[in-house]
Amino acid sequence: MKDENRIGTQNLGSLYTDGRVRSRREWRGVVDTAYDFSRWLHNWITMFRVVLVKPRNIKAMFRYRWMASYLAVPMMIDRHTQGLRNEHLRICHEEQDLIVEDVAKLLDKLFRGDRRIGNDKEFSSKVVLVDENEMQSIMMGFPTVVPLSREIASTYIPVLLNQRAALHYIDVAQEYGLAGDVCPMPEAEAGVSIDDDAPVLGCCAVQCNTTCDGSLMGNSVISKRLELEDGIPVFQLATPLRHREDDVQEYAAQEIRNAIAFIEEKTGEKWDWTHYFECAKRVNYATECRLNWLEMNRTDYPQVFGSNLALYTETNYMAISGRLKVFEDADRKISALAEKAFKKKRMAANEYRHRAIIWGVQSHYYMDFLVWLLNCWGIVPLTDMLSMVNTRMIADTDTPENREQAIYDIAWLTENMIMRNRTHGGYKVLLDELWEFVEEFNADMVILWEHMSCKALDGMHGMFEEKAREKGIHLVWVSHDLFDPRVISRQGVRDQINSYMRTVMNEEPVDPSLEILNDAESW
Amino acid sequence: MKDLKYLTWFEDLLQEANNELVVRAREEGKRCVSYICENSPEPLLNLDGCFSVRLRAPRTGSMEMATYYMTSFLCEYSRALLERAIEGGYNFSDCLIAPDGCSMINRCAENMELLHTMDKGKEHFFYEHMEIPMKADDNGLNLYVLQCKNHILTPLKENFGIDVSDAAIRKAVTEHNRVCELIRAIGEFRKGEKPVITGYEYSVITMATYAAPKAMLIDRLEETLEELRKREPDVKSPFRVRVALVGSEIDDPEFIKLVEETGAFVCVDRYCYGSFPGRDPITLTDDEDALTQICRQYMYRAQCPRYMNTAKLLERRSYVDRLAREYGADGILYEQVKFCDPWAYDRMLGSHIMRNEYGYPVLSIDRPYTVSGVGQLRTRIQAFIESVEIKKLHGGS
Repeated sequence: MKDENRIGTQNLGSLYTDGRVRSRREWRGVVDTAYDFSRWLHNWITMFRVVLVKPRNIKAMFRYRWMASYLAVPMMIDRHTQGLRNEHLRICHEEQDLIVEDVAKLLDKLFRGDRRIGNDKEFSSKVVLVDENEMQSIMMGFPTVVPLSREIASTYIPVLLNQRAALHYIDVAQEYGLAGDVCPMPEAEAGVSIDDDAPVLGCCAVQCNTTCDGSLMGNSVISKRLELEDGIPVFQLATPLRHREDDVQEYAAQEIRNAIAFIEEKTGEKWDWTHYFECAKRVNYATECRLNWLEMNRTDYPQVFGSNLALYTETNYMAISGRLKVFEDADRKISALAEKAFKKKRMAANEYRHRAIIWGVQSHYYMDFLVWLLNCWGIVPLTDMLSMVNTRMIADTDTPENREQAIYDIAWLTENMIMRNRTHGGYKVLLDELWEFVEEFNADMVILWEHMSCKALDGMHGMFEEKAREKGIHLVWVSHDLFDPRVISRQGVRDQINSYMRTVMNEEPVDPSLEILNDAESW
Repeated sequence: MKDLKYLTWFEDLLQEANNELVVRAREEGKRCVSYICENSPEPLLNLDGCFSVRLRAPRTGSMEMATYYMTSFLCEYSRALLERAIEGGYNFSDCLIAPDGCSMINRCAENMELLHTMDKGKEHFFYEHMEIPMKADDNGLNLYVLQCKNHILTPLKENFGIDVSDAAIRKAVTEHNRVCELIRAIGEFRKGEKPVITGYEYSVITMATYAAPKAMLIDRLEETLEELRKREPDVKSPFRVRVALVGSEIDDPEFIKLVEETGAFVCVDRYCYGSFPGRDPITLTDDEDALTQICRQYMYRAQCPRYMNTAKLLERRSYVDRLAREYGADGILYEQVKFCDPWAYDRMLGSHIMRNEYGYPVLSIDRPYTVSGVGQLRTRIQAFIESVEIKKLHGGS
């Protein structure tokens, strides 16, 4: 399928330079270029308004090494909007700009309570620290408690902004004696803790055994710092691994009850059922919207897909969990834009050649790879593993029965956290369900991220290959090391696709200017 | 010292997963319950009519097939087991019990299942994957008990007609305890200034109790204990320092031999397949069912790094300290099998804490599953021993 009516740049590779930034902004026609520029300006204003106008936050810029990466926020959004026009451009901005505002507020709150910076003790006494990869559904009944993740601010977001942001912390952890083969995400988080480079605040922390053994064990380094040195009590929320089994659900629910009791005790706040069910309604609305978008992606005209879907789902599903109305508003706007584009049969790139399911754990330092995949080779990333999360509606009206059910719903959501719902739970959720999605989405290709340190994914390598051969699906492995571009560079990631498309598929790129890019120095 | 009478016999048992006692037990009509992780309560796998074998892959060579299925990034233990399973090395098994102890062991067991490595032509064969607690508390205990019922006892009863009553479990605990008491008593001989058993010999004997039907070992364990009571130590000890060996899975006594060849006596064994805490007897009372008591003791005594609560984290260090003091260790050797995530973190933290907070000399190493050709490892251990020895000579710690 081709879109002959698209306006603006055709050779997107010409935007790249050998340095950190692009040569110029993309030309998208008068209306879209003006719109895109207004959003670029809007994001700068947001960052100034929320973060940079406050002297304490400027102090934080100099205290925390990872803060410098936030200067690259506008460029990150430019990477994700590459090639987009019309409704697709607006959908992307609805998603990304809201995430920017949410992260800006996170930074501001972290520094407000930080003992080293703002030291607002009253505020800090209502802060509960949570893991980077933790479902915040546990906070849906605490309207006055502030859940904050130091790891999102110090490692998760900076690597999205700047591919080299975590290298220092990875090196710190390895110099301390950590083996170099563990997943670099918890490794970097441990490095931040060893380096004592995270804000210190909060009345308590709730850790969770999230995605993998590395993530679970990285928590031990962080809790040692928090509990034994900073005096911040930590609750470890142990969520079952075999989350599809009936005989673990009671255990999961009891862990949630215990976690709520811990938060109540440490914050002095009480669980608020009215607020919980308000949030539950928003969770259901977000689920409904996501399911509608995925339904569109099963057709020839997908509208909400690729890295934008993944990033937005991660934020909305996991970190927001219905707690903020502004995300419900965004869901509504995105749905309206998607419907409009669908009716007009809009395409997000010049040409669609292949329909792909993106599986595995994405390269964090190259999150916009899916944009490249679409623009360079016409491979449409219909959906990805991170977006294939909970599809169940949870109880959202306040009745005595639903109050009991709600605990199981929170447990279920926590068990089905992004990534975790596939890396844990047995081969059925990782292996078997992939092929079901391939069929449902009428895909002819699977792009399988092989995050080399992800043992849960690596452990099914051979089975993925055998099943793909059996089903006659093109399976393209894309190796990377999640947070560490020194191991496999962005071009190294691209080359794996380039080789497959040229040698196996015998195809030429849609946009040859994107095939080889010197972005090793780029943010 | 004079050779132990049955050492070669015990060593032979470790040469093959399907050793002579496994063969004999199966000939007697007993069902072989293979298992992988130390978090599987052993007495439940040794009820009347069945016996347990903890899977190992002795004399592992190439792991090419397993590496294809699981890549080279998974720990060699999990790959060696899968390779052996694909080769048909565990065909003696009648079922596999696999707790989700870690992702790698989970994937190893799942590949075994998907590839039908052990079940071909066996009508009642079953693979069971178990959830096990990650925290030691009442909620964890409830989960543990339920999982053992659903994934061990019920399948054993339904598939093989095994008696899983409380009385049957208590009987299995009695047998289990007899083996544990003998292993503990034999291990006591490591405490003396002139020990009459080496760490290598002890590891061979201990390992056999995981790899062979326990009841068939009791006579020879008793004889060995008697023999040790009379055994004369060497006039001049070949060992210069005493070390506690702490860390992940070791199922090859050759590694302990390698350490001891460099002049360090392995006086205490705190690793998976070691005797601490794996050979702690289980105490049962009459006021509660045996299953709950077994699970509680397994959960609270466990030293596996997958236990994530802070109390357990701290206890893992104090436990090592207690053992090191009790057995007179001069230093601690923290080890992990390469690519093991849980122990990568616990080794890092443990080695710093034991050095900085407890004051022990610590050597921290990662090692391959197979011990052959590890000259660098030998050199590192030698250097560590020399440094501990020098400290001892100078009267420091």
